[in-house]
Amino acid sequence: MTSLLDTTPVSVMDVLRGERDARPIANTTAASGLRAELEDGIFALLGPARRDAPLAIRASTLRSGTYAEDLTASLLAQVRGLLVTQALRLLSVGLEIDHAFDDALLAWRADVGSNELTRFVDQLESDERARLATDVTAHCVTLKRSLGPLSSRWLPRTSLRAYQRLAGGDVVLRDVIDLMVGTTTSDQASVALLDVTTSPLGEGAERVMRYHALVQTLRTSIVPLRTSMFSTAAGELWSANVDDELLSRAVGDVLETLRVMTVAP
Amino acid sequence: MTKLTHRRLSPHILNRLIEGAPDESLALTDDHRRSLTARFRAVASNDHRRLDAWMVERAGLPYEPFRWSPASARRVVGNAALRRSLSEPTLTRGDAVALEVSDQLLRATSGYARPGSLASWLAQSSPSVVGLVSAEAANWATQLDEAAQELERPWSVAPSDAYYDVARARTTLRGRRDLIVPRGLTRVVLRVRAGAPGKSAGPGLRADLTIDALAEPTGLAASRVIGLWPEAGVVLSVDGTMEDLRAGARDLVRTAVAWQRHRLARAA
Repeated sequence: MTSLLDTTPVSVMDVLRGERDARPIANTTAASGLRAELEDGIFALLGPARRDAPLAIRASTLRSGTYAEDLTASLLAQVRGLLVTQALRLLSVGLEIDHAFDDALLAWRADVGSNELTRFVDQLESDERARLATDVTAHCVTLKRSLGPLSSRWLPRTSLRAYQRLAGGDVVLRDVIDLMVGTTTSDQASVALLDVTTSPLGEGAERVMRYHALVQTLRTSIVPLRTSMFSTAAGELWSANVDDELLSRAVGDVLETLRVMTVAP
Repeated sequence: MTKLTHRRLSPHILNRLIEGAPDESLALTDDHRRSLTARFRAVASNDHRRLDAWMVERAGLPYEPFRWSPASARRVVGNAALRRSLSEPTLTRGDAVALEVSDQLLRATSGYARPGSLASWLAQSSPSVVGLVSAEAANWATQLDEAAQELERPWSVAPSDAYYDVARARTTLRGRRDLIVPRGLTRVVLRVRAGAPGKSAGPGLRADLTIDALAEPTGLAASRVIGLWPEAGVVLSVDGTMEDLRAGARDLVRTAVAWQRHRLARAA
């Protein structure tokens, strides 16, 4: 059956930007309360003793739900994710990507130099490499089609790192936002966060979206407008407006992850 | 005693730090410069050495040879793009970055770029690498602009880093500075860094304070140097007091000594 749509399907950017008139006033007061809530929760979990090595939490830790599973992600999947992220970065500056795999690989190598993952790609058999190239190209095509126009007036920033020390450095929240648009200097909330994943979206995706919003709030002391996640595997976009409830749940996610990490052998 | 202030990044924190800077302005005299030269000359070196805050923070540990990468190019291109977008307000940040990258490529093709420079590296790079440089530079310019937009006083992007050649000591000091905020007769310098500040971030800031004062022909020190780590959401600052200036100079000389020791150990 052929369906005819009345309107053009909305793009990822349309959803991220939303209606300009519907944006709330920027919340600049929530960060200190969230930090206090986290500090109290961490103290209840870890106690007063200082740790030799900090507990590091990343978005991938929350996605998998357990600390152990985070370490088992296949190298091939990691490389695929990294290359699709590089492609997003190139798209964000308006570069036409004709050969997604080659372009992303060149950009990635220039960025990181040589490491375990670049050596892994170098050592791939030709058929494995071809499969990876096809896979990356397919994901990039989905991304390019779905992303929509990305105006430089929206101040797109890519691969933004964040690092938050809690409990005197015993707990470290690390995060990388694949794409951020909007500004923190506006009176209205306008910052929208996007995580691009090559995996299908699942329960963990919601935790990751909340985590991005929480870390961004702690980093800038300004609550973002929206947090979103796009799967290039399914072409699916999840998006949520950031409010007090979402941030409070993010605090709960972090504390639950810490609890799992501290009881894990 | 030197004073290091630590704050979380929040709206108006930069304004508060700028307004709270000391009012008096101190200047390094010729005697100070001569004394520093004598100390650097006492640390023998066969090669020319270049010291900066990063080396002070690493206590003179040897580092990998410099190579251009999108991350190392972002500050140069990003600061230039922000400067350009201030003089041409109709330009978007992305357009300003694209024009800066084009200028660099033009310098390379017209033969004005020396080997090893950013322009020649960009000219030899693929379009995707140049695209990634643009993405990194846009990140940098936007975060610097977001910091600057909050400032209530007039500000400008620093025309260059501070450089000071220590006479007859084969030593060049390089101080990082990104934004300059004039304040009465003196100024506040804002420096942006990636990552998170380590335990030695304070000595690094003091080194930048001292180098900035040395690079001024009058020796006038900034009343405060503010270090901003946007990724960590942390702001540190040191005041331009004589204690801080002296501590910065001492750290630089110590770094030269440590650097020389590491080199001798490596050669042996």
